[in-house]
Amino acid sequence: MIRHVMGIEGTYPLLLVVWLAPLVGAICCGFAGPVLKRGAGWLASASVGVTFVAALLSWADATAVRDGAVGAHQALFAWTHGIRFGLLLDPLALVWVLVITGVGFLIHLYSIGYMAGDRLFARFFAYMNLFVFAMLTLVLSDDFVGLLIGWGLVGLASYLLIGFWFERPSAVAAARKAFVINVVGDVAIMLAIFIMIARIGSAGFGDVFAAAPSLGNALFPICIFLFIGAAAKSAQVPLHTWLPDAMEGPTPVSALIHAATMVTAGVYLVARCAPLWNASSDAQLLVGTVGGLTALLGAILGTSQWDIKRILAYSTMSQIGYMIMGVGVGAYAAGVAHFLMHAFFKALLFLGAGIVIHTLAGEQDIRRMGGLRQRMPLAFWGMLAGVLAICGIPGFSGFFSKDAVIQGALDHGHPWLYGTGIVAAGITAYYMFRMFLVAFAGEFRGSLPPARLGFHPEVHAVHGHDEAEHPPAWIMGAPVALLTIPSVAAGWIMAGRPSPWERLMSLQFAVPAHLHAPLPEAATSALVLVMVAAGIGIAWVRYGGHRSAEEAADRLRAEAAGMPAILRTAFYFDVAIDALIVRPAQALGTFAARVLEPHVVDGTVREVVHVTRWFGDAVRSFQTGLVRAYVVVVVAGVACVLLYYVLVGGMTR
Amino acid sequence: MIAFASLSIVLVASALWTIAARKPVYSVVALLVHFAALAGLYLTLGAEFLAVIQIIVYSGAILMLFLFVIALLSSGVAPFSVGPDRMPKAALPATVIAVIGLGLLLAGLLHAPPPSPAAPAVAGVAAGPVGAPGVFGSVAEIGRALFTTYLLPFEITAFILVVAIVGVLALAGDAGTARGTLRRAERVRRAAREAIMRGGE
Amino acid sequence: MTQYVALSAVLFFIGVVGVMLRRNPLVMLMSIELMWNAANILFVAFARTWLNDAGQVFAFLVITVAAAEAAIGLAIVVVVFRDARHVDVDEARILKG
Repeated sequence: MIRHVMGIEGTYPLLLVVWLAPLVGAICCGFAGPVLKRGAGWLASASVGVTFVAALLSWADATAVRDGAVGAHQALFAWTHGIRFGLLLDPLALVWVLVITGVGFLIHLYSIGYMAGDRLFARFFAYMNLFVFAMLTLVLSDDFVGLLIGWGLVGLASYLLIGFWFERPSAVAAARKAFVINVVGDVAIMLAIFIMIARIGSAGFGDVFAAAPSLGNALFPICIFLFIGAAAKSAQVPLHTWLPDAMEGPTPVSALIHAATMVTAGVYLVARCAPLWNASSDAQLLVGTVGGLTALLGAILGTSQWDIKRILAYSTMSQIGYMIMGVGVGAYAAGVAHFLMHAFFKALLFLGAGIVIHTLAGEQDIRRMGGLRQRMPLAFWGMLAGVLAICGIPGFSGFFSKDAVIQGALDHGHPWLYGTGIVAAGITAYYMFRMFLVAFAGEFRGSLPPARLGFHPEVHAVHGHDEAEHPPAWIMGAPVALLTIPSVAAGWIMAGRPSPWERLMSLQFAVPAHLHAPLPEAATSALVLVMVAAGIGIAWVRYGGHRSAEEAADRLRAEAAGMPAILRTAFYFDVAIDALIVRPAQALGTFAARVLEPHVVDGTVREVVHVTRWFGDAVRSFQTGLVRAYVVVVVAGVACVLLYYVLVGGMTR
Repeated sequence: MIAFASLSIVLVASALWTIAARKPVYSVVALLVHFAALAGLYLTLGAEFLAVIQIIVYSGAILMLFLFVIALLSSGVAPFSVGPDRMPKAALPATVIAVIGLGLLLAGLLHAPPPSPAAPAVAGVAAGPVGAPGVFGSVAEIGRALFTTYLLPFEITAFILVVAIVGVLALAGDAGTARGTLRRAERVRRAAREAIMRGGE
Repeated sequence: MTQYVALSAVLFFIGVVGVMLRRNPLVMLMSIELMWNAANILFVAFARTWLNDAGQVFAFLVITVAAAEAAIGLAIVVVVFRDARHVDVDEARILKG
């Protein structure tokens, strides 16, 4: 069987450094934690930084082209059943590696300040480095099995980090929920790999993509299973319910894993399998529709949240919906571009929110905030930059990528998704500004009695208001400041014809020849801008303006009281999953424990014992102890032997 | 022929009486008659030496042994009383099985293909004095066979006899030891007790 | 020839019946002696038929072994039933169970 290898074969020591440095960091922090103490944070950050530098130095290798192969391929070792492990660094992987390590580096630095004073400081960084290693395994693998290994490890790291504060039952439950839903995706990808190996004999990217046109009716199932995996990891409908709960983890975790990188693994998978989607327009329609639906749903749900991190979680879900929609319909460059921009401004938003939470000693409800502009100017300006970027204000990074995605939906012939994207953009603007204004504008409401704001007094005291508020250390402020730069300016790599971005992406994805564009890009941008302006306007009217703290509190309380049930329960997804899956599973477990275990399993063992004992008793009745009985038996036996010899043995002829 | 017929009648009758006699002593007597008839049968078959051995060993030694044991067991115990029958319905099926076995054995033996003799025959039937060599069934002949061809079985049988003697001594021969003395004393005491108790009935 | 075989078989099974049905251990042993002798008849008869001494020799050895067996059997009977209430084989039921 001819192996198709993507990428130029060779030995790339830098690539190995890129892959393994975070693992070294994780092992050191994990096992030498008590020795390193505060140094663990610097060590972990350094390992990620080294990786980033090594990845930058590999740019030339990653973009090299020779005989139709793009990028660098480092073979590792062969396993069984045609599975071989190797590393592939091509433009697509390079984008992800740089984001993971670059943004990851900044977040590691930020965490040194955020997690200072935590009892399990070193363990946190061990987990973070483990996550980076896992994510790199995922994007650098040249084989679906290697990707699956990274996939699973990333899920593990997510579980460990969401439940990092394991004394909190809510965190433990959230970690478990995330892991279980991710396992659904893991199984789906495994099924896809099974089909691949059965049909093609290999799970390597090159082999599978080369065989894509000849897969016939196995193509759609593979695509479906892969997409189910992507949907679980990227929190697409209906496997999205774990993402808002995942905010139980520390804010740097939310920033790195649940905004910038791990949840985008699904986007990476879809983009990586471009040859598969290109061969199946049904799969493309499905992926695009799910992406668009998620974008809309996430936006709608973001309008009803009061926890600043949950708002950002739903916005992540919505933006990833955009990315999925983009790579789903075939606008790969646009979707990947949106991933890049989103990583910047979402990490910025989360880190800024982290500063707010840290400064307010654990407060996360925006109703208790307000008027923070003077108290935390850095967080204010940073989050403003992020909000403008995510709304797609012209000139900011989000503008370029989001409009490209929406235009891409139209270009590839999906007008409904086009409309969905535009509507969702407007809603996005509304709820992001809602969050921003409620948190930062007006007067500070944190000192008001809880009842005034609509809380029950004992609820929502989880984060502890005993700690004194303190301003953030410089190590937390610097990453925020640094991230504002790409959030604002990175979009310009997509400007120009051909833009630098297009030139990079054209190495990876073939540009389709026939694209009918009923509307030019300028018209799309105008439509989006109209919706965004409407959204901002509505938010301004409702939440902007200078109001006293009490007045604002009353308005917020009224809004919370009047929120419809369907929004409060997030479209009943959790309720439905609980009723359809959780309850039956628990009932099955109860049945097994109460009925199967004692009666079937134990019962079988007991019955075996009974039967054996009964049999023994039955046989024992022969042992009468009477000599005469034994004699009779002996004589009967002799008669049987004689019978045998007479009949069979030839004693008579 | 007449000899065979009469001897066989005696043999069967005495065998039946042996197993059916009420008192064991009667069984011994019947067995004695059985052995005598058996010796006669051997004589008709030309086995003079064997006939005499039968009388000496079987009737003379083994039956005496039986009588001694009967005497020994009769002392101190109501002679040969029996306890309750624990296999009350055994008679019929046991007899049936035995008859079936008999029938099968007869069927097999009588209809079997004639087996070939194992060793070359001796020339001629006994037509000379009993002790003469070369005569079938004579003492000299049997003796020669025992001490040449069948020496190994002979020696092993001797060994078996030694084993039997040792076994009997080990099993029942503690009359000279302290334990045996104690047991005899205990038995005498128990017999006296029972006699006193029975005497009171 | 056949008559000796028949005689031997009949005597043998008379012995068998005796062992099965009598409860006195001594009578059982005597029945066993009957069986030994039935076999001996066969030996001697066939020796006569083929004019081969081997049958008589083995009959002689059988008598010897039967003597040894009777001795040991009687010793056992003595030991078991020396102090028993009834000289009845059914009373020796220690092997029950």
